[in-house]
Amino acid sequence: MTHLSLSKISKEYSGTKVVQDFNLEVEKGEFISFLGPSGCGKTTTLRMVAGFEIPTDGKITIDGADITNNAPNQRNVGMIFQAYALFPNMTVAQNIGFGLRIHKESEAAIKERVTEMLSLIHLENKAASYPYQLSGGQQQRVALARALANRPQVLLLDEPLSALDAKIRVSLRSEIRAIQKKLGITAIFVTHDQEEALSISDRIVVMYEGKIEQVGTPFEIYNFPQTQFVANFVGTLNTANAEVVDPAKGLVSMDGVQFEAAQGTAARNKGDKVKIAIRPERFSFASEQKKANVFDCTIENITFLGSVVRIQVMIGKTKFNMDTFNNPFLELPKIGDKDQVTCSREAVLVLDE
Amino acid sequence: MKRGGVIWSWFWMILGILYFFLPLLATFIFSMKAELGHLGFKAYLNVFSDPKFQTSFPASVIWAILTIIVGILLFVPTAYLVRLRLPQARSAIELITLVPFVVPAIVYVFGLVGTYSHPPLLIVDSPALLVAGYTVLSMPYMYRAIDTGLRAIDVRTLTEAAQSLGAGWGTILFRVILPNIRISILSGAFLSFAIVMGEYTLAQYLAKPAFAPYIALLIQNKAYEPAAATIISFALIWACMGIIQVVGGGEQGQVAGGH
Repeated sequence: MTHLSLSKISKEYSGTKVVQDFNLEVEKGEFISFLGPSGCGKTTTLRMVAGFEIPTDGKITIDGADITNNAPNQRNVGMIFQAYALFPNMTVAQNIGFGLRIHKESEAAIKERVTEMLSLIHLENKAASYPYQLSGGQQQRVALARALANRPQVLLLDEPLSALDAKIRVSLRSEIRAIQKKLGITAIFVTHDQEEALSISDRIVVMYEGKIEQVGTPFEIYNFPQTQFVANFVGTLNTANAEVVDPAKGLVSMDGVQFEAAQGTAARNKGDKVKIAIRPERFSFASEQKKANVFDCTIENITFLGSVVRIQVMIGKTKFNMDTFNNPFLELPKIGDKDQVTCSREAVLVLDE
Repeated sequence: MKRGGVIWSWFWMILGILYFFLPLLATFIFSMKAELGHLGFKAYLNVFSDPKFQTSFPASVIWAILTIIVGILLFVPTAYLVRLRLPQARSAIELITLVPFVVPAIVYVFGLVGTYSHPPLLIVDSPALLVAGYTVLSMPYMYRAIDTGLRAIDVRTLTEAAQSLGAGWGTILFRVILPNIRISILSGAFLSFAIVMGEYTLAQYLAKPAFAPYIALLIQNKAYEPAAATIISFALIWACMGIIQVVGGGEQGQVAGGH
């Protein structure tokens, strides 16, 4: 059964639509990420679920109950902010117990729950500390405990890792995911960091200009982007203009170089203008004789990226990036070398121009 | 800094201190000369034992306390809501808070008397009008102190965090916002206290007992006692400033709460 439902949600500010016709059904215990560039409407949508913004149109329900116009303090929705938002005048324990005191729980119950939450975030020894005595990562863990102490129906996370350094960000996101799974709580996570969204989510909602571009699992979003925006936004992608040559065989031509695609051409006509998209890691040097998608190329550039080496090759008149794992025992080609690269039919995505 | 620059800095600082403290020192020495032949505190004892002092000083303290309470109740929610909901109104509000600097107190008091001395608002005799007047006069100090305190915390996020935990407006204001700007409120309160204790025009023209009109009366009739009363008044205000410094400096880290 759907736990959280956003139905035909839209939001306008002074006639400008920032969210349009947003539909999403979330199952209980799911971890959903809203992913998109700044200004795409992801935070506004999250704030509508929290109650800080009221939709211009549409309906939001939790377990079937309409909460669209409820005040934020009447929703039982927990929220975590980028800026931590711990109350500076309260200790860690008081921060965590704040919501429970609002709901007039007994002191014994509050104490028990606070201890439980402190243990959940592994900060048992910081109960008496003030927020300014904690690191950023610790503050955000306290914010998580505070939001969870109330046993909210939905947990909302508004770019909670953006203010942290890279190492803490990675460890804290794993911790957030582990706690979310352990408690089985429904969570919505807003981020503009694709790696974060891909690593943490059950499903990702990719947004652009106030609209949903695609909803899918991280695997689907990365491997089978349905729009050019998703293809470009998530991961690194080579794109080039092409023309459908044979829709039935999946043949498209880029400046005379023919690519064979597994899908995406059947519903098109010969001569249709399209965009082909290929992930850099889907290319490899052609070591054996293949019939399709083997391209003569010239090595244009080589960039060392640590675990990966990015090689720029010229196919026809277009430059493509090819990623290969770094192997110190394999000799890399040299700039200017002539070679052959290949990719599978499935790697060639055919998108609208 | 070059040696010459240091010398000039000291020169101007000492000149400033002398300009400020010499008249005070002279007043203090003069206030000690009430008894012929030797220095003593007779003028101070005369002031403290004067029934008019015993009426006017506590009255001013009460006006000051009431002004502070009204100021907090009025300006904390106003400054909070302006920051939270009406940021575009901030410049207008700031301009309004400067009005007491621009409008002379005498003009203001005649405006009050003219407006509230006939029905339906016949409250010119009520102490409430005096407190309301003091509240307006102390507004630049109180409002700006509170606004500065609110600027130091993330008002919007703290409010939203409290709301998402189930808090209503009263809880947010009294348990989240107020405790985090208490130093600023304290600063505004002591400044308001100093203003009220030294304010002459309102109390004089609204015919209410107060400390400043009492000093003015002393000046007309006595020689050494006005100087003693002036030193008492200064001591009181400096005590207030000292408390602001001590309290404000001591807990800054906890209030700022950043990392």
